[in-house]
Amino acid sequence: MELLVCIKQVPDDSVEISLDPVSKTPALQGVTPVVNAFDTYALEMAARLKEAHGGEITVVSIGGEDVKNSLKNCLAVGADNAYLVKEEAAFSHDPAGIAKTLKKAIGEIEKDRGKPFDLIFCGKESTDYASSQVGLFLGEESSLPVAANVISVEPVEGGIKLKQETEEGYRVMEAALPCVVTIQKPNYDPRYPTIKSKMAARKKEITELSPIENLESQFKVLQILEPPKRAAGVKIKGDNIQEAVTEAMSVMTKARIF
Amino acid sequence: MSVSGGKNIMVYVETVSQSPVSGALEVLSKAHKLAADRGEKVIAVLIGMDLEEAARTSILAGADQAIMVKRETYDMEVFGEVLTKLAEKYRPSLILSAGTLAGKDIMPMVACRLHTGCAVDVMDITETDGQLVFTCPVYGGTVLNQLIITGTPAIGVVRSGAFAKELISERTGEILEEKVETEDTNRLKIIDVVKEMAEAVNLEEAEVIVSGGRGMGSLENFKLVEQLAEACHGVVGATRPAIEAEWVPRSHQVGQSGKIVAPKLYIACGISGATQHVSGMIGSGYIVAINKDEDAPVFDIADVGIVGDAVKVIPLLIEEIKRISSR
Repeated sequence: MELLVCIKQVPDDSVEISLDPVSKTPALQGVTPVVNAFDTYALEMAARLKEAHGGEITVVSIGGEDVKNSLKNCLAVGADNAYLVKEEAAFSHDPAGIAKTLKKAIGEIEKDRGKPFDLIFCGKESTDYASSQVGLFLGEESSLPVAANVISVEPVEGGIKLKQETEEGYRVMEAALPCVVTIQKPNYDPRYPTIKSKMAARKKEITELSPIENLESQFKVLQILEPPKRAAGVKIKGDNIQEAVTEAMSVMTKARIF
Repeated sequence: MSVSGGKNIMVYVETVSQSPVSGALEVLSKAHKLAADRGEKVIAVLIGMDLEEAARTSILAGADQAIMVKRETYDMEVFGEVLTKLAEKYRPSLILSAGTLAGKDIMPMVACRLHTGCAVDVMDITETDGQLVFTCPVYGGTVLNQLIITGTPAIGVVRSGAFAKELISERTGEILEEKVETEDTNRLKIIDVVKEMAEAVNLEEAEVIVSGGRGMGSLENFKLVEQLAEACHGVVGATRPAIEAEWVPRSHQVGQSGKIVAPKLYIACGISGATQHVSGMIGSGYIVAINKDEDAPVFDIADVGIVGDAVKVIPLLIEEIKRISSR
């Protein structure tokens, strides 16, 4: 199977991002760029699919020169080829703009490689903007079947069978290929690179692609704010836990909680 | 096709077992206020079978008109096409839905087909100079973007608990049925629906939630969280580490990648207070935190914090609660 995984580079989501008091923009300086967590789950799922059924994995991203580092990290954990749509201002696009850019890139990559993709993976959302729409827009723009919140995929005759998470469990669905899926965290973790796979990844070429000029966004950000801070209440500590609990209960009963 | 020069607010009212989901009623109540300010009306759209009762509930929650469209089973593409076609016919200026998995699936598709934008995880909608301004969290909720959607209609998927649900029994409205032709492309065929959860976990509507995190330490200790929840007549919640340790099923997850909740009382046990979790429960009325780490960030947002090992604190707390409630 020919597998494509769409990757977004995001600021490390274990770091709390605040607003820069002077510029009133998110303070991202010094925050390590990483591959979006849900995209790493997608790549791992693709890697397992490739190991079981053969094929190749291509990764594609949109962004500046620094995104090549994230793509190299993908090459070290299962991806065979990497492409970058070179666009410094990618962050200013809305999901529709990103999906259109990906659609164009997919056409170019397929031409470059001489074969079409069977399955296109995205993370179910990014940890920074979390719009959860790029995969859905990509499917819709390309008139392909698209399923969000997918937790497993397996090839079957004439297409793929997938599991989509629901509020109460999951749906089992079938689709013809090609198909777009957005990946929710499955019950396994992405693999780590080895020194050997890192070295091999470093030597690989990353092919650059050109963006779409003058994409229009459907959004205009008027203002960036910090959420109102919740004031801390009372913190009770003491050597005697029973006393601490009693004290806490008296605060709560006064507040009419119990 | 694009819809321009729209008027009125259309709300997709998702139903489960013929009843509107709570989030949809919250959205209707907010839409009612927005529409009143703009001299517009609210049009609820319900898709499914036997929805008359749900349509009436939608009117009580704030709809002026409830449109029922018959469909036997859920299909994201068909539901999306129904909404797209109704939007083309009724030309709303705004389309809203609750932030359920289905809402987050369908609305982007409608936005794509109508060549407009869709704001997700909407926490607030205000009007400034005739423009609708959407407040949406980014970076896990530590930063908020206030944005406008330049396309028409504007589309928003609303976070649960963002607005209050107001059912007013005096409200009246029109209920009608529309036949909407859709093409069955069958791009994705549902072959089975599996319900994993023995009972539905209704975190969004719970008045009390007791959540446990990594600090609970083990599956056995996590049972204390369940016992405390029972004592408070609440629902069990959990952080991602607790889910991943398989102490509790994923449907209990509160946080950025789980449920966004706003109960009256939230008790966090053995939870440090990582942004990803806090952004899902910061809207709670009263927050109680139990953690042995005095510097845990959860204490910065708690109304009452108890510094201590949750495993030791919880049994004492259960006793106190039982004592007080038996009085």
